[in-house]
Amino acid sequence: MKDKQILVRDLLLLLAFAGWALALPHYGSEFVVSMALTCLMYVALSSSWGLFCGSTRYLSLATSAFFGIGAYTSAIALEKMAWLESIALGAGIATVVAVVMGAAVLHLRGTYFAVLTFGMTELIRHAVTYFEKKVTGTVGRVLTVVPDRDTIYLTVLALAVLAVLVSIIVRRSRFGLALMGIGADEQRAQTLGVNTRLIKVAGFAMTAAFAGAVGAAMAVRWTYIDPHTVFNPFIGFQTVLIALIGGAMTLWGPLIAAIVFSVLAETLRLQAPQVYMMSLGLLLILSVLYLPGGLASLRWATFSGWWRDSRGWARGLSRKERKNG
Amino acid sequence: MVQSSKRQLLKGAAAAVGAAAFAPSLFAQAGPVRIGYAIARTGPWTGGAQVSQEPNYLLWAEQVNAAGGLDVKGTKRPIELISSDDRSDIETCVRSYEKLMGSDKVDLILPPWGSNANFAIAPLANRMGYPVLAPTALSRKLVELKLPNFFLLLQQPDRMVGALVDMLVANGVKTVAVIYVDDLFGLENFSALKVALRSTSIQVVEEKSYPGDIKDLSPVLRSIKDKNPEAFIGLSYPPDTILASKQSKEIGFNPRFYYASVGTAFQLYRNVMTPAGAEGVLGMGSWNSKTSPGAKAYFDAHTKKFGGKEPDRWASGHCWAGLEILQAAVAKSGLDRKAIRDYIAGNTHKTIIGDVKFTGSENTATPGTVGQWQNGEFEVVWPTKVATAKLSLVKPAWK
Amino acid sequence: MSLFSWLELIASGLITGGIYALVALGLNLQYGLMRILNIAHGEFLMLGAYLTWMAHTTLGISPLLMVPVSFLALMALGLVIHKLCFRRLTVTSPNLDIFEARGLMVAFGLMFLVQNFASFMWGGDLRGYDYLAEPVKMGEAQFAGNKLLVFGLALLFSGALIALLRFTLLGKGVRALMQSPTGAQLVGIDTQRLHPLMFGIGLGLSGVAGCLLSMAYTITPSMGEPYTVTALIVITLGGFGSMSGALAGGLLLGVVEALGMHFTNPSLKALLSYSVFIAVLLLRPRGLFAK
Repeated sequence: MKDKQILVRDLLLLLAFAGWALALPHYGSEFVVSMALTCLMYVALSSSWGLFCGSTRYLSLATSAFFGIGAYTSAIALEKMAWLESIALGAGIATVVAVVMGAAVLHLRGTYFAVLTFGMTELIRHAVTYFEKKVTGTVGRVLTVVPDRDTIYLTVLALAVLAVLVSIIVRRSRFGLALMGIGADEQRAQTLGVNTRLIKVAGFAMTAAFAGAVGAAMAVRWTYIDPHTVFNPFIGFQTVLIALIGGAMTLWGPLIAAIVFSVLAETLRLQAPQVYMMSLGLLLILSVLYLPGGLASLRWATFSGWWRDSRGWARGLSRKERKNG
Repeated sequence: MVQSSKRQLLKGAAAAVGAAAFAPSLFAQAGPVRIGYAIARTGPWTGGAQVSQEPNYLLWAEQVNAAGGLDVKGTKRPIELISSDDRSDIETCVRSYEKLMGSDKVDLILPPWGSNANFAIAPLANRMGYPVLAPTALSRKLVELKLPNFFLLLQQPDRMVGALVDMLVANGVKTVAVIYVDDLFGLENFSALKVALRSTSIQVVEEKSYPGDIKDLSPVLRSIKDKNPEAFIGLSYPPDTILASKQSKEIGFNPRFYYASVGTAFQLYRNVMTPAGAEGVLGMGSWNSKTSPGAKAYFDAHTKKFGGKEPDRWASGHCWAGLEILQAAVAKSGLDRKAIRDYIAGNTHKTIIGDVKFTGSENTATPGTVGQWQNGEFEVVWPTKVATAKLSLVKPAWK
Repeated sequence: MSLFSWLELIASGLITGGIYALVALGLNLQYGLMRILNIAHGEFLMLGAYLTWMAHTTLGISPLLMVPVSFLALMALGLVIHKLCFRRLTVTSPNLDIFEARGLMVAFGLMFLVQNFASFMWGGDLRGYDYLAEPVKMGEAQFAGNKLLVFGLALLFSGALIALLRFTLLGKGVRALMQSPTGAQLVGIDTQRLHPLMFGIGLGLSGVAGCLLSMAYTITPSMGEPYTVTALIVITLGGFGSMSGALAGGLLLGVVEALGMHFTNPSLKALLSYSVFIAVLLLRPRGLFAK
């Protein structure tokens, strides 16, 4: 398929998806809309995460930190500012924090980086708790100014669509190519003249902006936020899981996985809640071992490959039996 | 294993309620009264939710159905409970209640466990016009939201802590040491404590806060032991209450008054510390089976139904009281939610824990109380007018 | 504070530190040797705790006896996990960075799987039992008997591992592999056998730590995670791959935490730990004790 055709296809798919999601509140029940809201939240989070972390292979566990920063910003800002401005401010502050964090730590690779982002998330959480306690004399904040459900839904929908759109655009730009180059071989990219430091910080800041905006939007649903709830590392973990299983390097992978998991979560919740979490873990292990490209990289060839593998394994077993027997 | 028997009990209870609902010929006309709720069956909130709340919901529905059904302005209709697991997750909780009130359009709702979850669903329930009687929500901020449909049954921090301070003053205590957990509960109680202490001559020799997931309190307890206060006040949750008690025993810290707020009222505390070990320990509790004949009947029914599992001596009682109030409201006003709400707000209710009356969202009729373990039972020892036993001034060494 | 109180404080810090060291050693072995950052390490600690609790409360087996049993049980589990999950990664990963990243993700998945499995099996209630909880007086200081036992055994196991690595042929092979994987293989050291064995030993140590912890603390499905985090901090302090560094780092962290909690608030303890962690990672990534 030619490049332009792919672009048109992607944009059309995005349009269809956006249209369907827009229509949902009109014919869907409250419950379905609520489910869709969570789904869209993870579409936004994991698509933006995948764009940076999937391409560059820098696994960031800091999503919860930025989400929480956005949530706290909107809790404080909504009393003085309008809705959209609060969201923008949430994204903005998260970006600033990301730039500072990124400049300090993006020279470390792989596991160091992942572990460090996790440490920073916890650090931010404890710092916010301490600050709130000592300086403002409270823990957690109550959101008194709350926009109606449809506004929240449209905002999160817009963020999700924006995340995918940015993904589409960036992947075809020099910025996107630079990101991929860093992922493939960072040293080589540097020698070819790519300003890796700047590119990495920019990419990292971008994930932060989305996470901050989403956090700012979702906080209002909970009325009362405290560091424990909004800086919950699980948000970051689930984002990473969804992006990885969907296929962090692909465009549609995170979106597909987000939808699959939202449905799975709801169905399993009513039957066996722990089974959902266990299956998340198991799916991740299986996908890393057998499908490193994620769900989106599933092709017919993959299935035939697995079939061949399993036959080979069975043959190997029977050979061993014959040897021993 | 406890897990499977619990599940069996839940299944049995659900079956009983279901069976009752499926025998319409036994009940007069109209369909069942559909009551919905989401509660923690998995995740961090499970411990509290499965001791203080859900068992009460199940017991109540079973008892009411066995007596012929819920009295709806003269007609008896069976109760049908529609429930789900909120996984100790706020978003799931909100979504469940949106479904219950918005799509399923249940007749009544019962609240989830804990202040955080109640904060999340209170505005929602208020908006949709469903009155809520919450037995495990504790925060002045919730009261300040001034939601007409939301009622908090527990005594709020200033009253509980005020009762404790009154008791300490009456017994001539001069020095206290305080530790408190790093969240809204701990902070609100701590601020209330400081305010209450200001007008007394009691000195605070040590005050330290700690994070909720702390594993080791012994350094803090050791330094407190060194300062030798007459009273120790822990504003803590069950895991830290138990941790503090065990580690105090370890290091030999045994002040005259040992108070740990939440968790002491639980049967779990007595099991872990042993009755001898728990002797003399103070905490937040407001009733036991001696409080009223109704309380004894409830206690016995609960223990019988759940195979020896006792209700806790604080929130469980308030939860049952809330159900009693709801039952009376429906008998009087039918299923008109606005009328139910007005009934709840406008009357003094007689319940197993005594009088309950709401001023705004807050229950102002139940006084702040202090409980104490004596001979394997958690007695109410302060104030004297609701006490079930006299305060024991001798705290024996930890066993 | 009197001298004895100071000693008590430092001693209690050392006791906590002993456990930290034990958990960190297992993690270090896995990372230093195989570059597998097993962030599910704490979950296996939790499994060891639950196993001991079950054995003690249902079968009446003494927790002391469960120490070697937990070790062997979790070592066996480690062998199985290595074979099922990590071996394939070694074969299919194109380079070391990708292997590390994938290993991290697999460990991630394991963390979810094991923690929720425990939650599913045993429920979320707090569990615990009392073992040797009577206080033991040493001069004016007072410690719980089980805490002293825990400290003693933690030091014993740590010492045993370090001795194993330093003095036995097996240990020399492991150290050689850590220094230079290709070089070691060239002289005939068998990675196929050593990797799973060391992974298993790492998990076994974690299980022992869990068994010891269950004697003194309450057991919940989520008890493992904080220990994983602390173990990470310890091996960062001590230097990735250094065994004695992990031991020293663990003990040091325990004492620093105890002193920190005394002078400030326990609330600050976490803040301090993470700040130290990040500072070391940024400024001295090879560890505090690296030459």
